[in-house]
Amino acid sequence: MTITKTQQGSSLNIALEGRLDTITAPELEAELKNSLDGVAGLTLDLKGLSYISSAGLRVLLCAQKTMNKQGEMIIKNVNETISEIFMITGFCDILTIE
Amino acid sequence: MSNVNFKAEGSRITVFFEGHIDSANAPQVEQEVNQAKNSGAFTDATLDCEKLEYISSAGLRIILRLRKDIPTLRLINVAPEVYEILDTTGFTEMMEVQKAYRVISVDGCEVIGQGANGKVYRIDRDTIVKVYLNPDSLPDIQRERELARKAFVMGIPTAIPYDVVRVGESFGSVFELLNAKSFAKLLTNDPSSLDEVVRMSVELLKKIHSTELKPGDMPDMKAIVLGWVEFLRDHLPAGQYEKLHRLVADVPQDNHMIHGDYHIKNVMLQNGEALLIDMDTLCMGYPVFEFASIYNAYAGFSDLNHENVRRFLGISYETANEIWEKTLRLYFDTDDEKRLREIEDKAMLIGFTRIMRRSIRRNGFNTEAGRAEIENCRRRLAELLPRVDTLTF
Repeated sequence: MTITKTQQGSSLNIALEGRLDTITAPELEAELKNSLDGVAGLTLDLKGLSYISSAGLRVLLCAQKTMNKQGEMIIKNVNETISEIFMITGFCDILTIE
Repeated sequence: MSNVNFKAEGSRITVFFEGHIDSANAPQVEQEVNQAKNSGAFTDATLDCEKLEYISSAGLRIILRLRKDIPTLRLINVAPEVYEILDTTGFTEMMEVQKAYRVISVDGCEVIGQGANGKVYRIDRDTIVKVYLNPDSLPDIQRERELARKAFVMGIPTAIPYDVVRVGESFGSVFELLNAKSFAKLLTNDPSSLDEVVRMSVELLKKIHSTELKPGDMPDMKAIVLGWVEFLRDHLPAGQYEKLHRLVADVPQDNHMIHGDYHIKNVMLQNGEALLIDMDTLCMGYPVFEFASIYNAYAGFSDLNHENVRRFLGISYETANEIWEKTLRLYFDTDDEKRLREIEDKAMLIGFTRIMRRSIRRNGFNTEAGRAEIENCRRRLAELLPRVDTLTF
C-alpha cells in the first residue's frame, strides 16, 4: 500500500493505493497518529484502494473518532468494491462519504 | 403463460411474480392479483419476486394498489436489477423490500474447516463462507451477523461479517478470512505462553466491557438470567429460590457489552492483535454475568468430570483453573485472596444456576449423569447462597 500525504494549513489529504489489510493497516495507523495533531479537515482519498479488511476498517473508525473531536473527516473516491464493504458493515452510516 | 401465482394460508397470502411485467401484460396481471386477493380475508401479504426479471411503472402501480388493500405488504427475494428499479422509484422507502440472497457455488473451493453446524470453504484470497447444514438456520445466521456487525462498528476487533448467501439448498454466511490462531491452539503449541494469553484476553475483555450500547441494541443478560432462575422455581427450596431471585433482580441495569461465551477458543491472535469470534451470544449487562460464563468454561462444566475441559478446550483441568485464577487477578487487579474468593462465589452462583437449568432442560432427570449433575448444582447453590449477599463487585 502507498500512502501519499498532502497538507495545506489545517487540511490534510491522504491518498491510499493498494490493499488496506492486516499487514498494511498498522502503517496507516502509525501515519495517522503522527499526522493528525492540529488537523481540522481530514480527507481520505480511496481512489487507488482495491481492498479493505476489518483491520483497515478499524483504523478508519479510529481516525473518525479522533476527527470527531477536532474537526471533520471526509472519504472520497470510493469504488464499488469498497463501497459495498462500507454498506454491508454499516460503516456508511458512520463515515462521511462523498 | 401466467406471470402470477399465489399461496394462501389463513390470513396470510404470498403472491409470486414472474418474468417481465409491463404495460402489455399489466391488466392481465392485475386481474390475477385481484383474484388472489379476493380468495380470502388476508391481513398479511408477501410478494415473492424471486422469478421477477423486470417491472415497469404499470406493474409498480399494481403493487401500490395491493398495498392499499393489505398495508403490511412486503417484497422478498428481489433480484438486483429489480431492486434498482424499486430503489430509484422510492419503493424501498415506502415498504419493506428484501433483496434476494446472492447465490454462490463452492464447487472446487478448498474446505478449511468443518464443525457440527456446517462446513467452511475458502472462496477467494480474502473471504470464506460458512455453509450451514440446517436449511432452517437463516434466522440464527442473521441474528449472529447483526450482533457481530454492531460490535464491529463499536470498535470491537472481530472479522467483518459480509453478506448471507445461498449455496444450493443451504444458506451460508460470508466472512473475511482471518490469518489467525486461537488462543487455545497457541496454548497447546506453547504452554509457556499462558501468561501472555491471559494478559491479552483480559485486555480484550476490558475493551468489550467498556463498550457502551443503547438499550435494546443487544439482549439484556439480566433478563436472560432471571429467566434461568425462574425456571428453577420448583427445583430449589423456597428460601433459596427467593434469595437467588432477589440477588439477580438487584443487579444494576448496565448497558455495557458482554461476550457471553468468552474463552480461549473464541479469541484469535492475528499479527499480535487479539480478535473476538463467535458473536452469537453477545449481549449487555453487568460483568458478573460474563464471569459466570467464564467460570463455567474453565471450571463449572467440569466440576464433576475434570475431563470435560480437555474435550472442550484441549487443556487440562489444572491449566484451565490457572487461567481462571490469573484472569480474575489481572482483571480485578488484586491478589487479595478474600476478595478473589468473593468474586468467584458470585460467578459460581450464576454459573451453577445456568448448568442446573441446562441439565434439567436436557432431560437430566432421566439419566444417571444428568441426575448427578443436577444434584451437584443443588449442593453448590446451597453452599454458595448463604455466603453471597450481592452480585455486584
